[in-house]
Amino acid sequence: MRPKILTVDDSKTIRLIIARAFKPFDCEVLEASNGTEGLFAAGKHRPDLIILDYTMPIMDGPEMLSRLKCDPQLGHIPVVMLTAEAGRENVVRLARMGVQDYLIKPFKEDLLIDRVGRIINLKAKGEVVAKIKRFDDPLTILLVDDKPKILEQIQFGLAETNWKVHGCSQTGEALAFCNEKPPQVILVSLLLPENEGFDLFQLLRSSVHAKDVPVFGLCVKTATAEQERAQQMGFANMVTKPIDFDDLKSKISRALDLDTSYKYFEQRDGIVHLRCPAEITPLVVREIIKCLSKTITEAVDAGLDKLVLDFSSVNAPDVDLIKLAMSAIQLCRELSVKYQIIGSAALRQESKKYEESSGWLFSDSWEEASRLLNSQVPVNT
Amino acid sequence: MIEDLDHLVEVAVKEVFGTMLNFHVVRDLSGAAPLNGEAHVAGSVGFTGRAIGVIYIYAATTFARQITGVLLGLNEKEVAGDEMVNDAIGEITNMVVGHLKSRLSDRGIPCVLTIPSIVRGTHFRIESISNTQRGLALFRCQKNQFVVETLIKPST
Repeated sequence: MRPKILTVDDSKTIRLIIARAFKPFDCEVLEASNGTEGLFAAGKHRPDLIILDYTMPIMDGPEMLSRLKCDPQLGHIPVVMLTAEAGRENVVRLARMGVQDYLIKPFKEDLLIDRVGRIINLKAKGEVVAKIKRFDDPLTILLVDDKPKILEQIQFGLAETNWKVHGCSQTGEALAFCNEKPPQVILVSLLLPENEGFDLFQLLRSSVHAKDVPVFGLCVKTATAEQERAQQMGFANMVTKPIDFDDLKSKISRALDLDTSYKYFEQRDGIVHLRCPAEITPLVVREIIKCLSKTITEAVDAGLDKLVLDFSSVNAPDVDLIKLAMSAIQLCRELSVKYQIIGSAALRQESKKYEESSGWLFSDSWEEASRLLNSQVPVNT
Repeated sequence: MIEDLDHLVEVAVKEVFGTMLNFHVVRDLSGAAPLNGEAHVAGSVGFTGRAIGVIYIYAATTFARQITGVLLGLNEKEVAGDEMVNDAIGEITNMVVGHLKSRLSDRGIPCVLTIPSIVRGTHFRIESISNTQRGLALFRCQKNQFVVETLIKPST
């Protein structure tokens, strides 16, 4: 739901400036020109936040605030006070009045957005549409590390993807980059001098532009204290040096909930075809299992009722592969989907080791599997 | 008597014009006449308390429209009518005086502000009465000049 922001100011100019500041964000800005109108609008629209001027005719900001706080229906609404009076006494008075924050005029629009963004969840317009969906979609990764070699390594390690890695050695530079165009993932060295990596994380979490971007901590394996601290602070995950790039890709994929099903599934002649790659690692098995249920359920919903589990390319079938096949078979039974397994001699051998898989029937090729599925001959169901 | 009133006003003007308009403003010591027969807009905001006074900021109408456009993110053609300009100049004046008021408050000279008002004309002059500290500062922003005139006296 779009957040509502009520601006209460007798100056039309200030109301226009505020409305303009929030234009790039998916929110509704309501206006009132004094405290009386402000209270009425707050009661009618129940805004998520009020930006309240201090000095106004009819009813000023402090009076509206005190009435608002006394109202059980409206007292919880956070208020940001806008005032031209920055004297120390005034600031102390504002804090005592129960405002969530205050801004001194003159103010920069960026500052206003930043302060409001710390209180309510502001999203840029079109952010949802621009969300990265698939593993092969282009995305930007921001690396914050003072060692240039790491940037080179990561760029090289991710060269086969459509992912662009941008490096910053300083936190100020990183924040400026995020404000300009937020990346989809941020990797921050936990070993930057003077705790800068942790300070940057705090700043990113309160930034309107980057607060939802997953931040990974980057350090050597032995830096356990830093990793623990990062986990407690809420880093999305840890990446240790030397970097395992399959692991990094998998972590990014999970953090962004990227669809990887296209890497393993296709529809062929009205049959869902699961092709397992030659190298089966725990990461691959986890990735396939993650998209298995959704892919097959969607296929059934679209009118398909046949699946081929193609393990013919797998070099070294093991228990993980057997478990993967069992998960798929279980799902086929639940959804009344007919299936065939294409397996190498090694897989047939492996399957005989376990009671659950010892009775599996195998096809030798795609042609045989699809012919059996399309014929009236009884097949696996 | 506020010894550094001139300095306080200059800091306030530069802060407000820099933050709200992104204008680089400098003091103009050329001594050119504030009004040259061109139509001008003056915003004024008073303050009262331990110090009593009023500050006027006036500029040629063309520059006032330019200020309004930048403040509201509009091009000059979109700046519709005098009311929009009045409101913008009033708000800029209010911010400058608010800035000054805050500094006075920190020095134990609390005061409250009046609402902004606008004067328009081609030939007007602001005069002080006796026992009033008067300051006139001319500023330049690229080719445009504007004036900040301060009248202040301690409360009795």
